[in-house]
Amino acid sequence: MTSGTDGATGPVEGRVWRFGDDVNTDVIHPPAFYSLDPDKVRRGLFHGYDPTIARDLRPGDVFVAGRNFGCGSSRETSIRAIKLNEVGAVVAVDFARIFFRNATNNGLPCLTFARPADLELVEAGTRVVLDPVAATLTCADGTVVELVPPGEFVREIWAAGGLLNLLPTGMSAPES
Amino acid sequence: MSGRTISDIIIDAHSLDEDRSALFRRVSVDAVLGHDATTALLIDDFERRGLSIWDKSKVLLTNDHFAPPATAERADISNKFLGWARGLDMPNLMLDKGICHQLLVEHRLCQPGGLIVGADSHTIMAGAVNTCATGMGATDILFTLATGTTWLRLPPTIAVRFTGALPPESGGRDVVLELLRVLGEGGAQYRSLEFHDETSTRLPQDDRFAISNMAVEIGAKFGVFAADEVTEAHCRDRDGLGPGEPLLGTPVRPDADAGYERVIELDLTDLTARVAKPWSPGNVVPVAELEPTEITSAFLGSCASGRLADIRDAAEEVAGKRVHPNVRFVVIPASVEVFKQALRAGYVEVLTEAGAQFNHSSCGACGGIDKGVLGAADVCVSSSNRNFRGRMGHWDSRTYLASPRTVARAALRGAITPDLYREAQ
Ligand code: SF4
Repeated sequence: MTSGTDGATGPVEGRVWRFGDDVNTDVIHPPAFYSLDPDKVRRGLFHGYDPTIARDLRPGDVFVAGRNFGCGSSRETSIRAIKLNEVGAVVAVDFARIFFRNATNNGLPCLTFARPADLELVEAGTRVVLDPVAATLTCADGTVVELVPPGEFVREIWAAGGLLNLLPTGMSAPES
Repeated sequence: MSGRTISDIIIDAHSLDEDRSALFRRVSVDAVLGHDATTALLIDDFERRGLSIWDKSKVLLTNDHFAPPATAERADISNKFLGWARGLDMPNLMLDKGICHQLLVEHRLCQPGGLIVGADSHTIMAGAVNTCATGMGATDILFTLATGTTWLRLPPTIAVRFTGALPPESGGRDVVLELLRVLGEGGAQYRSLEFHDETSTRLPQDDRFAISNMAVEIGAKFGVFAADEVTEAHCRDRDGLGPGEPLLGTPVRPDADAGYERVIELDLTDLTARVAKPWSPGNVVPVAELEPTEITSAFLGSCASGRLADIRDAAEEVAGKRVHPNVRFVVIPASVEVFKQALRAGYVEVLTEAGAQFNHSSCGACGGIDKGVLGAADVCVSSSNRNFRGRMGHWDSRTYLASPRTVARAALRGAITPDLYREAQ
C-alpha cells in the first residue's frame, strides 16, 4: 500500500515517527552517507540523530513533523533514503520548499495539517492510515485528522509516479 | 491592484503560460547550474530516458564538492560526472575552478533580470546581481536540462530596506545573520526576499553575495537585490563593457506601488558583529553577548564567504600576528579566480605567515566533505552558511557561524569572546 514510483497514490498504513521543527537535510541524511550506492544511502537515514531509526522502520511508516521539515540542502539523497526505507509519506506543519518539490517529484507524498494544532493528536508509535488523495490521516483511536488536499498538479505528478514520467507530455500547462 | 515586485516582473517575463493568474507557472530559464554531487544523481535517468540537453551553451557545470576527490568512491562519482559532461561536449564544464555558485556569478550567463535554476540550494546567491535564481533537486534539474523550462509558484515578496551606514567592522555576513535573527530559520519560507540598499555607505557586491547566499537559510526561494549602480558596475566590469555600451542583461526594479506581504527596515548604523550558535543559522546573538567559547578550528571559505573582500578582511586582521596555537585555520578561496586575485594582492602570503593554511577552491569542510572535517571535540568558527548538527563532521562537533573578520579575530584569540571587538588586538 505504500506509494512509490509505480504511480500508486492509495492509502498508506504504518506507524508514526514524530519529529520536531526545522529538521534539516543534514540531520535527515548526514553528508557522510552521500553515495550512489543505494544500500549506503538507505543506512544513512537519520544516522547521527538516531542510528536505530533506519533499522526499525517498516514499510508504510509515516513521518510526522513540525514546522519547516527538510530545510537545507537540495541533495535528493535525503529523499532517496526515505524512499529506500519505504516510508509511506511525510506529514508536517509545513515543509521547506526544495524538500517538498524533491519529495513530490519522486512520488513521496508530503502533506500538511489543515489545522497545525492537530499535530498533537498524532502520537509517536501509534498506527495510522493516511489517504494522500483524500487528505486524511486516521489515528489508531479512529480520530480523523484533516490535511490540506494536494493540488491538481501535485496529484498529477503522484499519479504519473514522479515528475520524470511527465517528460513526454510535460510541456502541457498544469491545471491549478 | 498593486504593482509588481521584482520576482513578479522576472517570472512574468519568463512565463510560457497565457494564464498569468495560474497557481503554478511554466517558465523558461536563462541558465542551469550543476555540480558533481547533485548532477551525478541524475545521470542514470538522463541516459536511460535517452534525453538530450535543450541548450548546452546555457548550462554551467563544475566539480566543486569532490575537488580533488578524497576517497576512491568520490573519485568514481567525480569521474562519472566528468565523463558524462565531456561525452556531451558541454561547453561550460569548468574543471577544478571553484565553487559552482561563485563560478556562476563570475560568468556572463548570470545577468540582471534573469531566471536561473541550479541543482544546489545556494543557487539563490545569484540574486545579488538582480537575478531570480533558486535551487532545486536533481529531478527538477533533469527536467529543466531536457526542456529549458520548469514550474514555479509565484512567491509573495518580503521587501527588506537596508538603511543607515554600515560600520566598517561589520559586513554582509553580520547583516544577513541579523536578518536571520529577526526572521528566524524558515521565516521567509516560499517567499521572495527583495533587498533594497538604501544605505549611505552602499553595500559592496561581495557583501551582497553573502546576504543573498544565506537568504535560503531564512527559507527564501529568491534573495534578489534591486538593481542599482553597484549591480551595474559589477556587470560592466565582469563582462568587459565600456561606459557607453549597453548591459547584457535587463536590470529590474519593482513597480513603485509593488504589493509586498511585509516591508522590513534594517538600520545598519549600529550593527555589531553577529554569531550563530550551534545548531541553527537562526540561533543568532551579538558577539558581545556570547559566553567566551574556546575554538579548535577556524574556517574561512564556502560559497557564502570565500571572496576577495572576505580574504582581505581576514588578512587585515591577522597581518603581523600569529594564529593561536590551539587553532587550525583553514582558508578556501571560493574560486581559482579569487585565489589568483588574493595572491596578487598579497593576502595569501599575509595569512600564510600568520599560520593559516590554504586549500584548493572547493566546498571543503563546509559540507563535511573534505580536509578540515571536524571531530567530536572540535569547536569551529566558520564563515560558511550552515551550522546544522553533524554537517561539518562529527555529530558532537560544534560550529559557530560568523563573518570572515570575526573568524580571523577568533583564530588569533583561540576563542570567540564577547570582547573580540572591544579591545585592541
Ligand atoms: S560551499 Fe558549502 S554551502 Fe556552498 S555549495 Fe559547497 S557545500 Fe554547499
